[in-house]
Amino acid sequence: MDIEMADPRLTLDERRRSPLAGTYAFVSSRHWTFKAGSVLLAMVLVMVCFAQWVAPYDPAAQDLINRLRPPSAEHWLGTDHLGRDVLSRLLVGGQFAVTISAITVIITLVVGTLIGVVAGRAGGVLDEVAMRVVDLLISIPDVVIAIFLIGVFGPNYATLILSLTLIGWTPYARLARGLTKEINAREYIRAAEVLGMKRSFVILRHIVPNTIHPVAAVSFLRFGHKLITVGGLSYLGLGVRPPNPDWGLMMAEAQPYLERAPILMIAPGAVIFLAALGVTWIGHGLEIESRGARSRATTNAEEAGNG
Amino acid sequence: MWKIILQRVAILVMMLFIVSVAAFCVPLLSDGDPARTILLSRVSDLDLAPEAVEALRRELGLDRPLPVQYLSWLGSALQGDFGYSFASRQPVAAEITRALGVSITLALSALGVALLVALPLGTAAAMRPGGKVDGFTTLLIQTLVATPEYWFAPVSVLVFVLWLGILPSAGWQSWESLILPAMALMLRPMAYFTQVTRAAMREVIAAPYITAARARGLSMNEAVVHHGLRNGSLPVVTFFALWFAGLLGGSVVIEVIFAVPGMGRLLYEAVVNNDVPVLQGGFVALVGLSILINTITDVLYVLFNPAMRGSHGH
Repeated sequence: MDIEMADPRLTLDERRRSPLAGTYAFVSSRHWTFKAGSVLLAMVLVMVCFAQWVAPYDPAAQDLINRLRPPSAEHWLGTDHLGRDVLSRLLVGGQFAVTISAITVIITLVVGTLIGVVAGRAGGVLDEVAMRVVDLLISIPDVVIAIFLIGVFGPNYATLILSLTLIGWTPYARLARGLTKEINAREYIRAAEVLGMKRSFVILRHIVPNTIHPVAAVSFLRFGHKLITVGGLSYLGLGVRPPNPDWGLMMAEAQPYLERAPILMIAPGAVIFLAALGVTWIGHGLEIESRGARSRATTNAEEAGNG
Repeated sequence: MWKIILQRVAILVMMLFIVSVAAFCVPLLSDGDPARTILLSRVSDLDLAPEAVEALRRELGLDRPLPVQYLSWLGSALQGDFGYSFASRQPVAAEITRALGVSITLALSALGVALLVALPLGTAAAMRPGGKVDGFTTLLIQTLVATPEYWFAPVSVLVFVLWLGILPSAGWQSWESLILPAMALMLRPMAYFTQVTRAAMREVIAAPYITAARARGLSMNEAVVHHGLRNGSLPVVTFFALWFAGLLGGSVVIEVIFAVPGMGRLLYEAVVNNDVPVLQGGFVALVGLSILINTITDVLYVLFNPAMRGSHGH
């Protein structure tokens, strides 16, 4: 039993209906954490994408007379130390972190999965050395790499993405390699080998599609982790430059006013938390499903082997 | 078995070489002239005399070919000499040693408490998969993983320092100043430790020797406590070592927030001051330590785990 991208529980009819109905059917048939996570993530994405139009005020407009105001009817989350509207800044402030995290996750996912699959197919010394290198790299905190590179090249998109991808591919490689080893033992792979199919064909047609589901689960979990890391770098002033709003930067700017206006600190942190929680839940939901599918696949293989 | 250990050491040496080359070469790729940077950080005068820059360049040996520079840098680095900080003019190695001590204390306290919570919690969750405790634990893990530590930290300052006034807000004077940073740092490791404990204990509970112990009349709890815990804690101990290595440098934000004079803050200040020798030294020390601890853990695992002897595979 293979893991398909499309949900087998949906009828063809349901999938064809319309993208929106299809998405709804896709989400509603899943684990509750997946549903809850999807709602949270959808909220954050809508916020990030449409912020410019939704924001009630110009996020950079200062109003020094009305600084550090508590939440009110005009300013739902109050104003910051320069009198800027916190809600507007919060809406716009996710763009940097979400973009960087998304790009990083996509790059590391592709690179890591390919390395893992190739190592798992190749076996032997190449596999051992590659996995040993993964084992060594995986525990290096990406913040250390980021600080070193930012210290040398200064904060910019390329440096940030590079520093988060240098180590970031390792969890995908480890996972994809393990999955490949599992899939290697299945009958249809042996059949493909016996039939003399090309190595790249076996990898792309038989191995990679079977890694997609578990890898997707991990990539959502990693996305939350990246979001928090990028926010932390912004907090340190090593991310986006002021006056552009950014969640991490907003929290750093709020620090001197912690006692007077705690909401300046709590609100952006809560948004990072909810976004990270959303993707973590999605990842968890996917993980549960793929684990179920994998154990079913193993049992089937075992039964086939015994019979 | 010795083949595995030899292979691990060979890969360790290779990785350390790559790390040292990266630490040495990456700063050369930036367009800044090191001699200029050093002089600027010392005199903060934008009109530098070209002769002074040239003199310093010769003094630092920057006019020699690159491989020669690398080898002499590596030679002194191996003897524990990473040069002098541009900003403080102190030896980099001394600053790193001092900061490492602080970071080790902080990391061990955070991880120790995390482990004390995670072991019983993970075991309890594993006893009844899908039960109330398991469900609560899963939710707790997800919440902890998603909590930015730089959000938890200011909120804890707000509560314990500004409102209750029972803890110091920042600095590194007494054991009390350890509490808040350690609390913020322990959230994520606690989540992962619990997860690993639960997974390991689930495997243990399904193991034949537990069934055997149960058959001899022990209750499930007795069987797990007497026969399961030791086996179940092995993966957790491995995980502890890896987190320890990672937390030494991974605590930058927390060390900066709480003004803890550890490795993270040292690196952060090096970035702010454009202090390349400290950056290089700190990078080599942290990444080197991380892969060294990693290798030691792995070799110990091979030595102590009979199942690992003669074969490779986790």
